[in-house]
Amino acid sequence: MAASTLLFVASILLSSFALSCNASGTFSALQKSILLTSSPKSGQVLKAGEANITVTWSFNKTYPAGTDSAYKTVKVKLCYAPISQKDRGWRKTKDELKKDRTCQHKIVKRDYKPESDSVTWTVERDIPTATYFVRAYVFNAEEKEVAYGQSTNDGKKTNLFEVEAITGRHVSLDIASACFSVFSIVSLAGFFYLEKRKANASQQK
Amino acid sequence: MGDTPGSSMHGVTGREPVLSFAVASPMVPTDTTAKFDLPVDSEHKAKVFKLFSLANPHMRTFHLSWISFFTCFVSTFAAAPLVPIIRDNLNLTKGDVGNAGVASVSGSIFSRLVMGAVCDLLGPRYGCAFVIMLTAPTVFCMSFVSDASGYIAVRFMIGFSLATFVTCQYWMSTMFNGKIIGTVNGTAAGWGNMGGGATQLIMPVLYSVIQNVGATPFTAWRIAFFIPGWLHVIMGILVLTLGQDLPDGNLGALQKTGNVSKDKFSKVFWYAVTNYRTWIFVLLYGYSMGVELSTDNVIAEYFFDRFDLKLQTAGIIAATFGMANLVARPFGGYASDMAARRFGMRGRLWTLWILQTLGGIFCILLGRANSLPIAVTMMIIFSVGAQAACGATFGIIPFISRRSLGIISGMTGAGGNFGSGLTQLLFFTSSSISTATGLTYMGIMIVACTMPVTLVHFPQWGSMFLPPSRDIVKGSEENYYVSEWTEEEKQKGMHQGSVKFAENSRSERGRRVASAPTPPNATPDHV
Repeated sequence: MAASTLLFVASILLSSFALSCNASGTFSALQKSILLTSSPKSGQVLKAGEANITVTWSFNKTYPAGTDSAYKTVKVKLCYAPISQKDRGWRKTKDELKKDRTCQHKIVKRDYKPESDSVTWTVERDIPTATYFVRAYVFNAEEKEVAYGQSTNDGKKTNLFEVEAITGRHVSLDIASACFSVFSIVSLAGFFYLEKRKANASQQK
Repeated sequence: MGDTPGSSMHGVTGREPVLSFAVASPMVPTDTTAKFDLPVDSEHKAKVFKLFSLANPHMRTFHLSWISFFTCFVSTFAAAPLVPIIRDNLNLTKGDVGNAGVASVSGSIFSRLVMGAVCDLLGPRYGCAFVIMLTAPTVFCMSFVSDASGYIAVRFMIGFSLATFVTCQYWMSTMFNGKIIGTVNGTAAGWGNMGGGATQLIMPVLYSVIQNVGATPFTAWRIAFFIPGWLHVIMGILVLTLGQDLPDGNLGALQKTGNVSKDKFSKVFWYAVTNYRTWIFVLLYGYSMGVELSTDNVIAEYFFDRFDLKLQTAGIIAATFGMANLVARPFGGYASDMAARRFGMRGRLWTLWILQTLGGIFCILLGRANSLPIAVTMMIIFSVGAQAACGATFGIIPFISRRSLGIISGMTGAGGNFGSGLTQLLFFTSSSISTATGLTYMGIMIVACTMPVTLVHFPQWGSMFLPPSRDIVKGSEENYYVSEWTEEEKQKGMHQGSVKFAENSRSERGRRVASAPTPPNATPDHV
């Protein structure tokens, strides 16, 4: 009994070591060499499914030439601002990129161009109500993050905008829901009444 | 024998001493004049439990009953695997998600206690139909919900439907003989509890099908809730049209004056609450059934977040937790019975302690597991431990009291829900504790709260560490069970049932039965 418990504990420890051997990239190791602007003004509220965001990004020329020789692809993402991460552990910011949950919504994936590139994106209907900023990650040929750029400052306090999500409710759903509920109550009452009547009738016979 | 058919709360239990699927004559004589598909006793209760039959009324009742209970488990925990979508749609915080989980198990604490009285007055058929059809609108209400408070309120109301546990057990007791009622009730309860696992599979699948048909995520999950709602209505109608309260017909039609217990409620209640063992088992069940309910609420979201799984994959893993009930709960009862054959009640107590503590240890390991395969393995062993402990608990409950069995069973059941609410509030609602840490703390609490079982002592059988009393009178089963009646009540002969029960319970001595000395006042006066 004790031996098998030891074995279990040992195997857990071993596998956790094995995981940590896969050193994955960290956010703090990335170069902030992309300049990125997004169209929403600070504090603007966008409606999901209707409003557009235009994102423009380019390589920051103040960095030495050749820094971007390894850049292959760019992924632009919609990211949660700190206020929308509060009390929501599933949106937590972690330095280890594999575990980071800040940016959960993809806007576009493009090949990297040193000149300016841009995209106009309609806010999709599954984007939740929250406060956001835009960030672009740059990947090398091995699909590993090497650089980034974002529309807010390092503290993620400036230039944030909001999205107002769709409710997901529909009048037709509400009506169907009400109908079935009424049916349930009425059929229960109906059965009860009918059986009571039958019982009284058989009593009187 | 003196029991009126379907007397109050009789049989509201998971297990009685003999694990059997059939009672042979002449142990219980068969009524040969009755024309039923199964052999029946003098009250027309079935003596045989034929699992794959739909024979009216006994087996049909069994299937209607457990499927209704299963349906209510499905709808109570239907939100759990969809929380990753719901939390985005309704802008929930971790606190909101946790509070909704607490709410989902709290409603039934109250509704289960009320349901006993409802079954007495209206019969189990209407009790079941009422609960299931009146909670159907609450399930449909999920389509209206637009914020955290609405979400919590609706989950609270859906949770009332778990009162079908009581109708299920009560209805079984009107249909099946006392010697097999343990197996019948244990199977019905276990299969009903499986609903908490099945829902983790069903809801994500429904959600993705509805999405593929064209709905957006925030609408698709609302539509998905219509299916459990329809199940409520369908089962309610089936129960009303195909079911009957008693083997011979329905309550109203038979003109019985209601199944009111001949005993006084205040007395029965008194003997339940003044027996310290009741409270120990209320606590214990909160950490076997309670943690099972809590885990049903948090495990899918946990796997989704921690291991980055798709919603359906997380649902499948979460489902295996609840589905283990198919065999784990009956296994616990079986293990308890096997231990009792050799070691009597002490064996049952040790079995319970071992199973529940093992469950707790593997819960701790589940919280600490960093890789998916290990987490799943720890979860499965944890589920078997916790659910088998539930089965083993009801292997002991019938022996705590004969007079107050119904109330003690009801209180224990309520304790399960209370433990679940408390655990979710402590460990799964605050943002400062991650779910993984919450699971570890829950495991530690399980181990700690299982310790009190060492204090349960029966003078006639002993406890985990102490032997039974050597005193001829105090160490007899009769003395223990008859002490619940006053002299006045004994004069009226009200204690006869307890005397008979005491005789039958001698099997809890284990191998020592043959050598038990006969107490001086043992011979009952047969009326």
